[in-house]
Amino acid sequence: MKKFIAIALSLLFTASLAACSGSESPPTDAPASNAAASSAPAPSAEKTDEPVEAPELPAEAPSFDQINIGDYAGITANLQFKTHRTDIVDTIFQGYIADFQKIYPNISINYEAITDYAETMTTRVSTPDWGDICMIVTTIPNTELINYFQPLGSTSVLAETYNFADNKANAGVTYGISSTNNVQGVLYNKAVFEQAGITAVPKTPAEFIDALKKVKENTDAIPLYTNFSAGWTMGAWDAYIGGSATGDPDFMNIKLPHAKDPFKDRGDGTGPYAVYSVLYDAVSQGLVEDDPSTTDWEGSKGMFNRGEIATMVLGSWAIVQMQEAGPNSADVGYMSFPISVNGKQYASAGPDYNYGINLNSSVENKIASLLYIKYLVENSNFDYDQGGVPTVKTHELPSTLAAFDGIELVADNPAKESEEDLFTNINVDSEVSLNMDNQHVIDIVEAALGGGKTLAQLTDEWNARWTASQEKYGVTPE
Amino acid sequence: MNPKKLISSIAAAALKYVSLLLAVFAALYPLLSIVVTAFKSPEEYASTNVMTLPASWLYFDNFIQAWTKAKMGLAFFNSGIILLFVLAGSIMLSSMTAYALNRFSFFANQIVRNLFLFASLIPGVAMQVTVYQIMYSLHLINSLHGYIILLLGTDVISIYIFLQFFETLPKSLDESAIIDGSTYFGVFFKILFPLLQPAVVTCMILKGVATYNEYYMANMYLQDKNRFPVVATSLYTFTGPLGNQYNFICAGVIITIIPALIIFVAGQKQIYAGLANGAVKG
Amino acid sequence: MDEHRVKRRRAFRQRLVSQRSQQLFTVFVFLLIPLTLLGVFTYFPFAKMAQFSLYDMRYIGKRTFVGLRNYLDIFTREELFRTLRLSFYYLAASFVQLALALFFASVLSFKVRAAGIFKGIIFFPFLVSGIAIGFIFKFFFTRGFVLDTLLIFMGFEQSQLPYWLRDSQVNNIMLAATSVWRYMGQNMVLFIGAIMSVDPQLYESAEMDGANTWRKFLNIILPSIQTIIVLNMILSITGSISAFEPPYVITNGTFGTGTYFVVMNSMAHEKQKVGLAAAMAIVLMAIIVLVTAIQKIIVKVFFEEDKNGMIFSERRAMKKRLAKKRKEASA
Repeated sequence: MKKFIAIALSLLFTASLAACSGSESPPTDAPASNAAASSAPAPSAEKTDEPVEAPELPAEAPSFDQINIGDYAGITANLQFKTHRTDIVDTIFQGYIADFQKIYPNISINYEAITDYAETMTTRVSTPDWGDICMIVTTIPNTELINYFQPLGSTSVLAETYNFADNKANAGVTYGISSTNNVQGVLYNKAVFEQAGITAVPKTPAEFIDALKKVKENTDAIPLYTNFSAGWTMGAWDAYIGGSATGDPDFMNIKLPHAKDPFKDRGDGTGPYAVYSVLYDAVSQGLVEDDPSTTDWEGSKGMFNRGEIATMVLGSWAIVQMQEAGPNSADVGYMSFPISVNGKQYASAGPDYNYGINLNSSVENKIASLLYIKYLVENSNFDYDQGGVPTVKTHELPSTLAAFDGIELVADNPAKESEEDLFTNINVDSEVSLNMDNQHVIDIVEAALGGGKTLAQLTDEWNARWTASQEKYGVTPE
Repeated sequence: MNPKKLISSIAAAALKYVSLLLAVFAALYPLLSIVVTAFKSPEEYASTNVMTLPASWLYFDNFIQAWTKAKMGLAFFNSGIILLFVLAGSIMLSSMTAYALNRFSFFANQIVRNLFLFASLIPGVAMQVTVYQIMYSLHLINSLHGYIILLLGTDVISIYIFLQFFETLPKSLDESAIIDGSTYFGVFFKILFPLLQPAVVTCMILKGVATYNEYYMANMYLQDKNRFPVVATSLYTFTGPLGNQYNFICAGVIITIIPALIIFVAGQKQIYAGLANGAVKG
Repeated sequence: MDEHRVKRRRAFRQRLVSQRSQQLFTVFVFLLIPLTLLGVFTYFPFAKMAQFSLYDMRYIGKRTFVGLRNYLDIFTREELFRTLRLSFYYLAASFVQLALALFFASVLSFKVRAAGIFKGIIFFPFLVSGIAIGFIFKFFFTRGFVLDTLLIFMGFEQSQLPYWLRDSQVNNIMLAATSVWRYMGQNMVLFIGAIMSVDPQLYESAEMDGANTWRKFLNIILPSIQTIIVLNMILSITGSISAFEPPYVITNGTFGTGTYFVVMNSMAHEKQKVGLAAAMAIVLMAIIVLVTAIQKIIVKVFFEEDKNGMIFSERRAMKKRLAKKRKEASA
């Protein structure tokens, strides 16, 4: 018996080994594996027919607006790039490297894709040479950027060309350029909506709940899929409480730290309460999946594509994911969050991770990093391919966001000077932890399911904690 | 054998095998989802649920993909090297520590024991930044030896296993050797160490599996994933911020369990033979 | 003559001195590396963590010294302490686990066909890497999936079955059960190891005395592996106080499954309250040290052999026997 298993296993192994070596022949696999191979060893002069003279480098790296693709031709550098995108590091990113090396054959780029990116990178930036380029983790407050990242230039100058140049900036200096940008809306399946008899896209929380009810009555689809057990998908709800819920670009960073009881019910279907009430009501009225504790994020993409799910509340980055999960990409619709402020709809828009350059890198690595980031932002089309708002202002919006015509995009303004840390201080201290952890949103679902606390009770608790932390930091709520 | 005895022994045997078969079923049944998923193509995985059986049990593409994309060949090689050095180092260091603590009285003996005991009780939260900075200043990041040193440095359980075991070895063994003119080093290496076999086996199983599956520190310190993939981190190739490729992960999990299982089943005879030879009260 | 004796005495003393210094030298050499490693990788970071616990801080940015306020916070927030109650689920599970491990270890120590295969398969779950555990058990407990299919096959109705991970009546039990699934085989192997090191002659003589399996278990196996059982019990108590992995990877602490360790971990990483998390760690450690100390005392009283080589229960049995004898004698 033992022998038989051993033989069977060894057969299995040799079979898979043989199949491995065979798999390199199909042409579809070739580009990726070639690119991966060429990225590892430093490219040498042999690759280019006519060796370019190494350029003279300045003592200081220039600012991001002053550097252009084509400058410093022949520069040699070996860059370490830290990214959270484990999914495309061996495919799409390798394509970018190959493309970039057509212009700069002597710049080699080694990507490291990190699982648990935020936590790992927070630890790693505590030492000086963590690499050359990374996606700036949100655990670094803007006032601390100066100690870790190369200044990229004056915020006001960069803002002329790039969206969200003030996101990773402090005291008029920008330290990060956004890789792609999200618009916050709601995914809906057009075919399911049609089948349910929903003719107009809902614009208020009440209309939205009605629409979900229609889906439940008239179709077999799950009206709203929470993706509860993935955790981070719950945190996504925080993204709507600013621009989408108030239409006010000052709300998140300027007003929220000073606001008195910001989470209480405004009574007019706007503000943070209205956002969370959509979730609470949908769950308590049985308009979500049967068992939130065992939802399956990977599987939900296919379910959405097939029309087994009517809506999901996720940022615009998810559009492409849903389209690619099956044959029905035309059914994937994206609408603004169902809140209207004085009859008008708004949508929060904001940057995804920003690229940042290590302050401690050598000058040639900084220049090479600037060139590569420039390439990524201006030439690679990465932001567009990800279905988001482009970083370069002159680039056009992707077609996936066409439905947002006529809806005003709201980008949060940065905090006032001297108050840069105030929002984070209160947010952390109160443990409401907006955009940080998912617990408060999870609490909503658990309360709505268990029939325990009402949403008003929950938000009262948050308000009390918020007020206490405001006091601690010397803020009198207005 | 009288019929009554025969019946009761048959009943006992039946009970024995029924309970064992139940245990086997309980051990394997939860893995159903993994096996089913490992044989589904990405499209099939996306369009069916976990309880739908795969279209073909001969679909080995996931295994091939997992093997190549996660660089599992190199990962097995690296993990093998790490296992070799961690096990050898941990067994040497822990048994030496246990010997020193068990056999000699010196002023700080109890203090040192307590230091090791407390170390095993420290909940490791909020410590990783400091550890990272230490590893950095010692130039131990991004190298197999650095990772090995770290695993050895945070190894407390093995010391405990050996310390327990030394309690059962009579001191008369050392004393007679010392009278015969042996040094303490000689006593340890020539006389006591060969007797430690059962503890060595225990340590190898515990530390071995823990090292083989250790993910957190490997992810943190073996940063160059092209040079230093290890088995535990290799499967994370298929996890991503926007979702995980579970069909590859499941195939990969099966690939990673198989060698460990082969070593376990094949090594069992030697292991238990060694234990029986050790023939010391456990 | 006299001179000779003095010389010998001196030589003896010298040998003693040199032996003592040799001993100390051995201790020094043998402990040098382990203690250095312990200091560098455990106690230095631990000291830093203790320091963090006195600050209001995030990983990056300004920190403010707050003295013992974090500790005060912990003791005044009952919702943090309440999570420790969940330890009892894991404690109960770990005793079930030890009992099962002991049972199968004993069964497999006797003559069993294909014993190697059985041992391998029962040990199997321990080899499954952590990345797969969340996946396995999410689908295992999903309504209508792996577990429900089995139970329906056994005659249950779907409507009779609870939502395994959502229903707070059962979810902690289910999570604790996954850890039994995962670690029972490992315990079993340790026990088998201990049983195998029992002198085989003991069994032979027992067999000659006509002892049955149960007798053999009670009189030979159990006493000989007592030490390792006690050690495992101690480990399972401290382990259940700091239970972390099952709720972390399967439910992420939702629906009332968040153990103290899960909450602490989220404080340290998601909520970025590093000072509070460090203080929670120190409090947890204090609790564990306390519990360990109590256990050690209990073990000392009840299980340690006295100078006659008897443990507590034997001494009591002996006392009873003596008392009985005395009674008989006086009667």
